[in-house]
Amino acid sequence: MKTLTKLAGAAALGALMAGGAMAEGLYTPNLAYRTGPFAATGIPLMNGQKDYMELMNARDGGIGGIAIDFDECETGYSTEKGVECYEKTKGKAIVTQPWSTGITLQVLPKTNVDEIPILAPGYGFSPMADGKVFQWAFNIPLSYWDGASILIKYLGSQGDLSGKKIAFLHLDHPFGKEPLPYLEAAAEAQGFELVPIPVGLKEMQNQSAQWLQIRRERPDYVIMWGWGAMNAGAITEAVKTKFPMENMLGVWWAGHDADLKIVGDAGKGYKSVSWSFPNPEAPIMADLQKYVVEPGKTLSNAEEMSGVFYSRGLVISMVLGEGIRVAQEHAGKAEISPADLRWGLENLDITEERLEELGMTGMVPPFSTSCNNHTGHSGGWILEWDGEKFVKASDLIMPDSDMIAPLEEKAAMDYAEANQPWPVNEECGG
Amino acid sequence: MLYRTAGQFKTSYKSDMALFPVRQDAVLLMVILGFAWVVFPLTASEFAFQTLLIPILIYALAAQGLNILTGYAGQLSLGTAAFMGVGAYACYKLVTLFPWMNPVVAILLSGFFSAGVGVAFGIPSLRIKGFYLAIATLAAQFFLVWLFEKWGWLYNYNASGAIQVPNLEMFGTYVAGPQASSIVQYYVVLVVVTLMTVLCINLTRGTLGRSWKATRDMDIAAELIGINLMRSKLTAFAVSSYVVGVAGALFVFMWRGAAEPNLFDIPLSFRILFIAIIGGLGSILGNYLGAILIVGLPVVLGTVPQALGLPISSAMVEHLNIMIVGALIVFFLIIEPHGLARLWALIREKLIIWPFPH
Repeated sequence: MKTLTKLAGAAALGALMAGGAMAEGLYTPNLAYRTGPFAATGIPLMNGQKDYMELMNARDGGIGGIAIDFDECETGYSTEKGVECYEKTKGKAIVTQPWSTGITLQVLPKTNVDEIPILAPGYGFSPMADGKVFQWAFNIPLSYWDGASILIKYLGSQGDLSGKKIAFLHLDHPFGKEPLPYLEAAAEAQGFELVPIPVGLKEMQNQSAQWLQIRRERPDYVIMWGWGAMNAGAITEAVKTKFPMENMLGVWWAGHDADLKIVGDAGKGYKSVSWSFPNPEAPIMADLQKYVVEPGKTLSNAEEMSGVFYSRGLVISMVLGEGIRVAQEHAGKAEISPADLRWGLENLDITEERLEELGMTGMVPPFSTSCNNHTGHSGGWILEWDGEKFVKASDLIMPDSDMIAPLEEKAAMDYAEANQPWPVNEECGG
Repeated sequence: MLYRTAGQFKTSYKSDMALFPVRQDAVLLMVILGFAWVVFPLTASEFAFQTLLIPILIYALAAQGLNILTGYAGQLSLGTAAFMGVGAYACYKLVTLFPWMNPVVAILLSGFFSAGVGVAFGIPSLRIKGFYLAIATLAAQFFLVWLFEKWGWLYNYNASGAIQVPNLEMFGTYVAGPQASSIVQYYVVLVVVTLMTVLCINLTRGTLGRSWKATRDMDIAAELIGINLMRSKLTAFAVSSYVVGVAGALFVFMWRGAAEPNLFDIPLSFRILFIAIIGGLGSILGNYLGAILIVGLPVVLGTVPQALGLPISSAMVEHLNIMIVGALIVFFLIIEPHGLARLWALIREKLIIWPFPH
């Protein structure tokens, strides 16, 4: 009988949950991870996202006159929990923010069936840029291939790359392997030697073997595709082995202030590509102070709010907020459906003027999306660690789209073929 | 009262050793099966299917496979997740190499691959025992996960290094992949799990099962009375890995939809070991009870605060959840170290003699 009552109770609760009443407004759940091994990097991002939506609700009464029901579902970065959260929220949600490449991978094929847009800003699958194939997925404003391309372009501007050796230190995981196809193509085109050095998930904190290999190979540059504990591990190891920091560059997730603060001055010169930048003078920061921090609605603190990751969280919610606004204008109603939001995210036009209206000048490069461009390819800055904080070390660099576009198209078609039947939106101009 | 056995006379040895010596057991099982086959599918929501029903069945099956090896044959193994991985990757290769193959057949076939690998890694068990064997199976765990990462052919040289379940059809309906509906997947899982459970019950009650138990209880004595230890141990590894492999294929094809190599790493092995231990080693029922406690309960607990309308943040819910489930595990192990199955057996005994305890 115990089995029975337990199962029956479980089923009843499950049914309750699915049909349960939620708070009024547009339901935009976030599959957050404030617990688990990646919590340190997750919390500032989640706080930024949450605070932006709190600001919208407190200052403007929501977006387009309707409150935003911004809710978090805790995943602890576990794919299993992520799928649980997706199933739990998909009934009412107008968007899914999966927050991990593993969860994105899992949820991506389901979106055509469930018809809910996935918003994966700056992560996920690079070919998601092809909106013809991935009709419901968005990785605004830059894909990993774009990021790799910006890094290579920046290095190219520092001197000819042919004959040089670049070590690619990456997490041995779908996320870390993501830029490899682009980097291999670039190595062939520009004549540099690429040395991929994988870091297993279990070796994140202890990378002595990898750095021994780096010392032996004597690369001219190290490009790091790391996340969570791997960043701090690599940076401290680089300092220990006296690798010249100015020749080490990372993806945007490897540009976390806290990771560099551990080494402080010794980390001077370390660079990271980024599509967001904290601007303490931006009007939105003053508004946040007034409407969110002072009434005590934030979970963040002053130090965190001045960091790169918090402001990236703001930008991510801004993208979603703007998507909602555009969708509302198009649909002519405040209460939009997931399909409306998809239209909104496809027709974003974030110009300098719009950023100024939002009070976010300089926090993200301007970009626009379209039906067949689900990324926006905004371009990014190279940030440099000056010993205390990240500063901009370059002007806006645009990715090499001529080279990336065919790669994206091919990978997207391969994906669609492997997942037959997969609907392709032929209406999009190519 | 409910369990009154008065009037149920056993007149032959056979009826005394029957699977259900007490009629009420059979009735109870029928009720449970009725729920599993009819009531749940009709009433469950998408969420209940995806987070409770399907995973509980799959985890219970995996624990059942481990239980054959550890609970019945007494060979401690820490490589369960890796053998699940072998099943999953074998199934992936089968359906991509032979797209015409019936998915259920592919799932059942993939078990043979993990059985083969299991036997290969079981060979050391002929010489080493106990904790030392656990270390040897740990080698399987590390080696196989490494292989899933490095051998590109296994994942068809995908750039991401992960396997993705394609849409698979059977008799005109999708049974796997994103197009498949939850109820269809549930029934496929239920059919396979029922089949495997019947197989396991019969095996463990038969000659093979008795030779396993003899090996577990005292291998020297077993050898002296004429049990071939090599056969007994290796068949345990083979049957166990087969069941675990099938569970692995179901895990990826009927539930997850995609898998990266590190999914099959040690935490999953431990999770299944915990299910088997908390459910009860050397029992079939225990695997289901353990899976309900370890897999189902956290999901249910996680939904409680929201259903009651308590304003607790989701991170807090997660912390509370971990604490509550941990405390429950300790609690159950203190009141009954032999697991939930033994707890149920005690309750059942008490019910039979109730209301006259002496």
